[in-house]
Amino acid sequence: MRIETIRAAGDRPAHIRHDNLISAKGVSVVIARQLILSNIDLSVPKGSFVSLIGPSGCGKSTLLKVLAGLVQPTQGSVAIAGLAPVEAARKCMIGLVFQDANLLPWKNAVDNASLLLGIADKSLSRSDLRARGQEMLELVGLGDSAHKRPNELSGGMRQRVAIARALALDPAVLLMDEPFGALDAITRDSMGQSLLEIWQRTGKTIVLVTHSIDEAIHLSRHVHVLGIKPGRITESLDIALPYPRDLSVSEDPEFVRLVVQLRTMLRSSHQPGGAS
Amino acid sequence: MSDQPITDLPEPRLASSWSAATGSWLPAVILLLVTIVAWEAAVRIFAISAFIIPAPSEIAKSLVAQWGTLMQATLVTAGEILFGFLVSVVVGIAIALVIVRFDWLGRALYPLVVLFQNVPKVALAPIFILWFGYGLAPKIGLILVIAFFPVTLSMLAGMQSVDRSLLSLMNSVGASPTQILFRIRVPHSLPNLMAGTKIAATLSVIGAIVGEFAGASDGLGYVIQFASTQLDTALVFAALLLVSVLGIAFYYAAEILERIVVPWAPKFSQS
Repeated sequence: MRIETIRAAGDRPAHIRHDNLISAKGVSVVIARQLILSNIDLSVPKGSFVSLIGPSGCGKSTLLKVLAGLVQPTQGSVAIAGLAPVEAARKCMIGLVFQDANLLPWKNAVDNASLLLGIADKSLSRSDLRARGQEMLELVGLGDSAHKRPNELSGGMRQRVAIARALALDPAVLLMDEPFGALDAITRDSMGQSLLEIWQRTGKTIVLVTHSIDEAIHLSRHVHVLGIKPGRITESLDIALPYPRDLSVSEDPEFVRLVVQLRTMLRSSHQPGGAS
Repeated sequence: MSDQPITDLPEPRLASSWSAATGSWLPAVILLLVTIVAWEAAVRIFAISAFIIPAPSEIAKSLVAQWGTLMQATLVTAGEILFGFLVSVVVGIAIALVIVRFDWLGRALYPLVVLFQNVPKVALAPIFILWFGYGLAPKIGLILVIAFFPVTLSMLAGMQSVDRSLLSLMNSVGASPTQILFRIRVPHSLPNLMAGTKIAATLSVIGAIVGEFAGASDGLGYVIQFASTQLDTALVFAALLLVSVLGIAFYYAAEILERIVVPWAPKFSQS
């Protein structure tokens, strides 16, 4: 049986090992004769929290889809723990969260949380699935709302269910495409904080696409800045702020310095680049 | 801001649920009553013959006098509508499922379905009588050809409007097309399907009456046709009234079914 309990904090030191869980080499994507991504090299160390940030149209979402196996690169290769992304997804190694929670309105929270697991692993019984769904809802702080339908949940709660649904697969990596983009600022902050806690408790590798500078610095260990025309990684920034971080990290002088630095990088990423 | 308590504000409107409920149907009832009274008055003042336009009181008299016959006819027509409606829904759903599940068959079938929709189906009634005789079968056939289309079309729209990201999620864990069809597309299409079903319910009434016009020995359509040859216009109107009642009853039955089948549909959520 695949079900295993969530590892306790500190059981698996998240950032000690340096081997890469995800490695993309020379990835280019051409869609409808347009060069969307150009020669992307990206390594994501196991257990790390990496953010991809960039202006609209830089292809950051496309890059995430390439990592998820939803878009095939025109050139280059991607490996997730040595496997092609599509293979890795079939083995439940990839958890996906999009901007829209995309819950099934006719199913309650716990059945939504276990939906993908039920499809991926047909050997699990209904009660196994429910138990796993409940466990994941508790992890994201929604243990009391298991029997609520999506229309009875707030936007933030729906997104928590979407995260629970991804985590139910017990994936090696969580790929998140602007998961908090549709939420208000306060909900957004608390969701980010929850995500950090989940990350530290589970030791998952997380790749987050965002357009929020604060969110990228608050949450991640590494930030990659993407530029436009064509989409490419222009710069990378290590966030040396110590974990565990909470919302007060934004008052840290180092945080403020990083915001300024990242903002400068983003500004230059808006310039279309030639062959570089 | 003053410290004075505010006392002269008007009471909020629609404060109670009772006034909200009556507020919605009261205007319609008043208009209906006014129309009936004006109708009665006009017929009397201008001395219009009962076989041209019968007064509402004449229609009521006819309704009472022919109550037994009319109820028998109503039962027959209601049976045709219900049976024809159920067949239309089942066939309509089946066609939609085939179109979505089997891609090339769908591409072959869909244009033909649309083409067929443009055939004036009322004109098929005499042919159905020729093929199936005067019994129940031609009425069911006519209701089917008239009423299946909104069912098919609404269900297709629902099944094809599933969010792409959700399909990506399903595909990423290796869901089969059949799993996606029955676990996502079909339940997702239910609110649309229920809307199509309500249209089919009203079209079924039309199908049954047209079928009875073309050839029948019973039913409200038959009563209407028979009474008009006898210049018994009051009976025609009495039968029309019952047809309308049937139509409304089927429509609301479909609406109640909707609340039971898709309580989660967006139209029922408060926000």
